[in-house]
Amino acid sequence: MLLLAVGFMTKTQEIPLTVIGNVTGVPSAMKYSELISVLKGQKQRWNDGTKVNIYIMKTTTPIGQSTCKKIYNWSGDKVKRYWLELSFSGKADAPIFCNTVEELESYVSQNPGAIGIIDRNATSNGVKTILIDGKNPF
Amino acid sequence: MTAKGKIFIFYAIFLGCVCFSFRSFSQRTDIRGFMDLSTFLQDDKVSFGLGEQDLFITSELSDRFSFLGESVFKFTPNTPTTFSVSIERAIVKYNFMGNHNLLIGKHHTPINYWNDTYHHGRVFFPTIYRPLLFEANIIPLHTTGISLQGQNLGDLKFGYDLMVGNGLGSNDVLDNDNRKSITAAVHIKPAEGLRIGFSWYNDEMAAGSTTHDGKLITWDVRQNLFSPSIAYFGEKFEVLAETTFASDHTDTTGTKQTFAGYLYAGYKIKERLVPYFRLDRLHYQEGEILFDKNNTTSIVGGIRYNINYLTVVKLEYQHEQTEIAKDINKVTFQIAVGF
Repeated sequence: MLLLAVGFMTKTQEIPLTVIGNVTGVPSAMKYSELISVLKGQKQRWNDGTKVNIYIMKTTTPIGQSTCKKIYNWSGDKVKRYWLELSFSGKADAPIFCNTVEELESYVSQNPGAIGIIDRNATSNGVKTILIDGKNPF
Repeated sequence: MTAKGKIFIFYAIFLGCVCFSFRSFSQRTDIRGFMDLSTFLQDDKVSFGLGEQDLFITSELSDRFSFLGESVFKFTPNTPTTFSVSIERAIVKYNFMGNHNLLIGKHHTPINYWNDTYHHGRVFFPTIYRPLLFEANIIPLHTTGISLQGQNLGDLKFGYDLMVGNGLGSNDVLDNDNRKSITAAVHIKPAEGLRIGFSWYNDEMAAGSTTHDGKLITWDVRQNLFSPSIAYFGEKFEVLAETTFASDHTDTTGTKQTFAGYLYAGYKIKERLVPYFRLDRLHYQEGEILFDKNNTTSIVGGIRYNINYLTVVKLEYQHEQTEIAKDINKVTFQIAVGF
């Protein structure tokens, strides 16, 4: 029963999310609406001209599932379909879907203009934590 | 040092610079494919059909340059293997500022939502077959040329496409006359899932040209296409309505007008399950010179089930009434996949 309860809680629990970004290009604070616009591929470049690169966790991971829910308000399948449709219509570059938080943070640290979503503050050099509507986590 | 030696050193330095510049940028290339298979009942006969096999490549070439290629392998009866390969899109994109891009190559002409959004892979189509205005070659599906594109500008998410390309009667490597086709399209996305657009296409076909479907034109034809479009794909409802008014002018026959349009509507019973219908209408004015007059009405009713984001099955009934042929009644089942 306890295991079932834990399993149920894990499934329904929404993980608090943190937005991280490369120190180049990505602003230190954003509005929630702006974040959604960026993560839907509607912005190709940051204000300083750096290319926007998106990194999100695989939709099968708990963080990925929370990202789908909180940012897109869609299922993981619908998020993947959205990106496939958008990228092959030539309108945007699809995000990189990562397996682990460490992998995602490493990508963000190495790529100027990179933005990603994880469940903790940035720890790597070259990566900063982004405030969303003044909050972190959001 | 000899001249050959100097040239060799020059090329070595040049290649070294090129290699270095590419090493400093981690190129990302995605390759995907799409395919569909169908079985249909028509005239008391069941047939199985192989659809197009679609190969996609997208590649980031640098911080600002990218490439998109789409090649299709499809059944073509009059070839030794009964299959042929065609390049459907080959586009080099240069992002010169913000959300503004310069594109060169073979495009899907950005004339309406369907042509601009969907490609040859059937997995994303809301119905099994394309609307009749595509099948009847009313609009130019592809244009080879150069275009300026902007998207998601301002609060209304305004977008534009301005394209100059090889005109009607041309091919992908050579224009048949001095006139270029012009496509100007604008759209806004004022709410989530909603896109409202309008486009204008202008071209002149020189006498002696052939149309998309191989019809020889014996007069100079000046064509204008006006295409309003509205698309809404929401959480529950899906609506897509597009029309094209074609105005074809020759000095001999004057101006003739053709109307082609369709209305698609779907309702999500569940996220993956969508019953839908589509109404198509083609109407040609008497004396139309560019198209064969064949007024047509078609009604489609079907159901779509997304097994997952890469596998979709559809079951569809179509009734088509044409002016010059007998009615068509067809039931089709299709499975479309991405891989």
